[in-house]
Amino acid sequence: MVDNGVSTTHVLVIGSGGAGVRAAIEAAEHGPVVLLSKTIAGKGGCTPMAEGGYNAVLREGDSPELHVADTLRGGAYLNDPALVDALVREAPDRVRELVSWGAVFDVGPEGGVAQRPFGGQQFPRTCYAGDRTGHEMMVTLMDRLAATGVTVVHESAAVELLLDDGRCAGAVALDGDGAAGVYLADAVVMATGGGTQVYDISTNSSSGTGDGYALGYRAGAELIDMEMVQFHPTGAIHPYDARGRLVTEAVRGEGGRLLNRLGERFMARYDPERMELSTRDVVARAIATEVLEGRGTERGGVWLDVTHLSARQVEERLPIMLEQFLAFGVDIRTEPMEVAPTAHHIMGGLRITPDCATTLPGLFACGECSGGVHGANRLGGNALAETQVFGRRAGLSAGRSPVREKGVTPGIDRQLGALRRRFDGFRDGEVPPASVVRRLKETMWCGAGIYRDRGQLAGALAGIEVLKHERLLARTDRNLLDCCTAANMLLTAELICRAALLRPECRGAHTRLDPSCELPPDRSPYAHTYLSTAGEGIEEVAR
Amino acid sequence: MTPVTIRVSRFDPASGQPARLVPYTVEVHEGARVLHALHAAREQDPSLAYRYCCGSGQCGSCAVKVNGKPALACMTPVGDGDVIEPLDLPVVRDLVVDLVPRIARIAALLPKGGGELPDAATVEALKPLCDCVECGSCVSVCPAVAVTDFAGPTAMRQLERLVLDPRDAGDRVSQADAEGLFTCTSCHACYEACPKDIEIMGKAIERLRAEAHRRGYTFPRHAEIADLVRTTGRSVARITTPLFERVEPVIEPYGPVRGEVAFFVGCMYSMRLPETALDAIEVLRRNGIRVVIPMEQVCCGSPLLRTGQTEDLERLKRINIGAFRPYPVVMTTCAGCGMTLKKNYGDLPFRVMDINEVLTEFGIEPPARLPLKVTYHDPCHLLRGQGISEEPRAFIRGVADLVEMPAYCCGSGGGVKSGKPEEAAALGELRRKAIEETGADQVISSCPFCEFHIQGHTDLPVRNVASLLLDGYRAREGDARPGERKVQ
Ligand SMILES: Cc1cc2nc3c(=O)[nH]c(=O)nc-3n(C[C@H](O)[C@H](O)[C@H](O)COP(=O)(O)OP(=O)(O)OC[C@H]3O[C@@H](n4cnc5c(N)ncnc54)[C@H](O)[C@@H]3O)c2cc1C
Ligand code: SF4
Ligand code: SF4
Ligand code: FES
Repeated sequence: MVDNGVSTTHVLVIGSGGAGVRAAIEAAEHGPVVLLSKTIAGKGGCTPMAEGGYNAVLREGDSPELHVADTLRGGAYLNDPALVDALVREAPDRVRELVSWGAVFDVGPEGGVAQRPFGGQQFPRTCYAGDRTGHEMMVTLMDRLAATGVTVVHESAAVELLLDDGRCAGAVALDGDGAAGVYLADAVVMATGGGTQVYDISTNSSSGTGDGYALGYRAGAELIDMEMVQFHPTGAIHPYDARGRLVTEAVRGEGGRLLNRLGERFMARYDPERMELSTRDVVARAIATEVLEGRGTERGGVWLDVTHLSARQVEERLPIMLEQFLAFGVDIRTEPMEVAPTAHHIMGGLRITPDCATTLPGLFACGECSGGVHGANRLGGNALAETQVFGRRAGLSAGRSPVREKGVTPGIDRQLGALRRRFDGFRDGEVPPASVVRRLKETMWCGAGIYRDRGQLAGALAGIEVLKHERLLARTDRNLLDCCTAANMLLTAELICRAALLRPECRGAHTRLDPSCELPPDRSPYAHTYLSTAGEGIEEVAR
Repeated sequence: MTPVTIRVSRFDPASGQPARLVPYTVEVHEGARVLHALHAAREQDPSLAYRYCCGSGQCGSCAVKVNGKPALACMTPVGDGDVIEPLDLPVVRDLVVDLVPRIARIAALLPKGGGELPDAATVEALKPLCDCVECGSCVSVCPAVAVTDFAGPTAMRQLERLVLDPRDAGDRVSQADAEGLFTCTSCHACYEACPKDIEIMGKAIERLRAEAHRRGYTFPRHAEIADLVRTTGRSVARITTPLFERVEPVIEPYGPVRGEVAFFVGCMYSMRLPETALDAIEVLRRNGIRVVIPMEQVCCGSPLLRTGQTEDLERLKRINIGAFRPYPVVMTTCAGCGMTLKKNYGDLPFRVMDINEVLTEFGIEPPARLPLKVTYHDPCHLLRGQGISEEPRAFIRGVADLVEMPAYCCGSGGGVKSGKPEEAAALGELRRKAIEETGADQVISSCPFCEFHIQGHTDLPVRNVASLLLDGYRAREGDARPGERKVQ
């Protein structure tokens, strides 16, 4: 079973996005660290794809209070205030740290890191490196990581957390050949990113399959607010096979206009004050409504237009967008882009304290796989900041965890046996994981999308239940991971639907068509939804 | 949905079998990329291995060869009949190559501590060098990587990025030198392969070489060439009667004058291979083109530029521009001179054309066809430096049967032949093999450096396109013994 042997380390970090690498860098100050990455480290996940930017209070006129207020308002007051506080207070230091490590951000007119306006914010506080901000951060973090003693295990994916005496004691990982390895650690940091690949139309990278939610849940950790899925208003429609590809909010930040088929700047109807720079939930619903009411384009989208900007501004500020659309035959300097909403970000996730402890001892979490920072809707630019602030915090907490005796205990051995049986089952399975995943994506897009109601959600859950009973097939050992990933996607999707049924209100990104919701979000009687193997529910606010 | 058939290279290290191409017919939507066809193929055969993550050209995981050329699978439209192979790097399985060791050779910034963001001008200079997604395409096509321990084009890109960054504490010039800075042949294959259009040669390697030169890293052999240029205006010493002493400054065509070019002869054709230049002049005369040879012309500066010895460049440029100012069309026959005049001289008061362009534009008298099988070696500075590939082929096909071989650097450029002769020889030997596989009787090229170097690595005659054309003309007129002379 354990072809790759058993290794021990002080801290095991799972995931090599912005959060995981930042955690590993920090933890390395405290002892040996192993970083597991499903992809070549630095290439996977959504961080290198992030285009728009990183929110931090850097200039006079802005303040932490304003950033907190924007984040809470954007999050429909569902955010955990202690987490928001940490985010806002530490984001500036973390960006300065990236600069000192060599990050090449754009320079503002008066020197220092340039900032631009992003949706839902009262101050232009989004730091950027053209429209390849996440890539620049990732390159910088990988440089820094290289200077530490962290052992990087490329192209090995965690498939199960190991438990010892009620604590998280490590993980089992599959490498590219389908060989399993056991990694035992004093503390584990989950940093696997998001999971909107469970939807048919998604911006996420191939690794956005919700592994962290699924592994954490199966190991007994609690998740919150999983119903809060952000649909980014502007995903590309064409070509069909690349649908969902993100059209960054920076396009609107730079002055891009949304127009319907009739040429109307329709945001005037939905948010006349903030127009295109309203929060994402509002803009996504506006576009969905325009299309539903017959004012969309033939392909079912709307136009996003920057042709009124100078060619130079487009070339300098939006080079990746220009390059991507040119590759698909559209010159955005002279033609509008065709866009529609796309599943982008999961605001919910593993419940954490400000020190990134989950409810499972020994397991820490940071980045998109954790929940609570963004509440019911994330502001553009807050996720990259989250990766750095909470990546560092998780690395610190894990690094400071006491050193324990590590070994394959009888309990761990039993888990390995169960895993072996699961793998054997896959080798004897019947249904290719790709077909299950395809059906799941359609089920989720139709049943748990921008607008949802009880009937749709129950239908989606029933659909997922059917898919869960398909016997996934691994034709070779190398396909075992495909099966594990498909199972993780099924579980993530199920958690989203269950949580969505638990919240009987419209809040942020969660728009229920069935209940009437009279109360403004800051007066809502509800707080987090929660789910764990021990039970589920929705918290009510004591008023 | 439309069906497309792609052929995908399959390789299983455990099987002991070499890689083979397997056809897959898949259904894709309009506008689909290679990656989407691979996804569909993998549904048919889940054992197919390839990498991808972002699906949008941002992570550099998915680089493969599409019909022989590196490309990002996620950004490249798929076409019926496409052949998908791994990059030319060690293959792990199917389309997956061993990328991590190559990425590991890209240097990391060493913070000095307390680093502030550099000023706007510095950031603007840094940005184009930061676009790299570490896809490995450039490394996979680099001839210097193939035959030496060169860290690779993108590693050099990164070192220049670090040189420009005031926050970096490393000694990047020494590092570049140790990691193969002077092994680059200036072939531009990396630029052609890069999905992010990073011109590594001009934007990084030549700048690093200039810096290395300032710091005294110049090879003695390169310094000698620079001295020669300084004292004689030529990068090649006198070993035979130079062209300038063999011809009149104005050479009239045989028939009516259809056009006129001012001939920028270059050091190799004027000093070492004047017979080839005479052949070219003959071809022009037979096609009604008057050839003017301004005698004040000097070395274009390419040997200095490519080796980082740029001090003398402005002087050479001034002399050459002065000498050619009166003429609307300046013709080069050396691919290196042509590229230098076109790319490194900035705005010019005349138009620079390679002889292949000149002859194509004016049109030529048809030569006789000879019972000859030849292959063509693309000079890097003609193919990638000037985008000229079809023109010489058309002329060759007019005279002989053309058997193609893959375009690949012969090793003579970038100061490598003088500075790193073993490397130039190793690349020359690779050409020998490729030439042998064609079964040709002669090798044709269109650059004196390539012709001279390849002649040292094949027993076949290596000849210029113009000389072959002249053979065709002479055969038509019944004069003797075409194609006998070898490059000396
Ligand atoms: C296209 C796009 C653009 C965005 N733009 C912005 C923006 O401009 N500003 C902003 O603030 N936010 C943006 N976001 C959101 C933001 O990028 C993400 O929320 C954030 O980068 C997540 O970081 P992370 O480190 O948590 O996860 P990721 O960066 O997603 O990294 C997850 C890592 O975990 C690895 N992994 C996953 N599963 C496993 C497993 N089982 N075992 C081992 N490793 C595993 C993956 O390979 C990957 O390396 C954008 C998101 C997308 C998709
Ligand atoms: S120009 Fe040619 S030799 Fe030089 S780095 Fe690029 S590919 Fe290699
Ligand atoms: S320089 Fe270009 S080709 Fe080379 S690794 Fe970077 S992106 Fe790829
Ligand atoms: S999959 Fe990331 S560049 Fe193609």
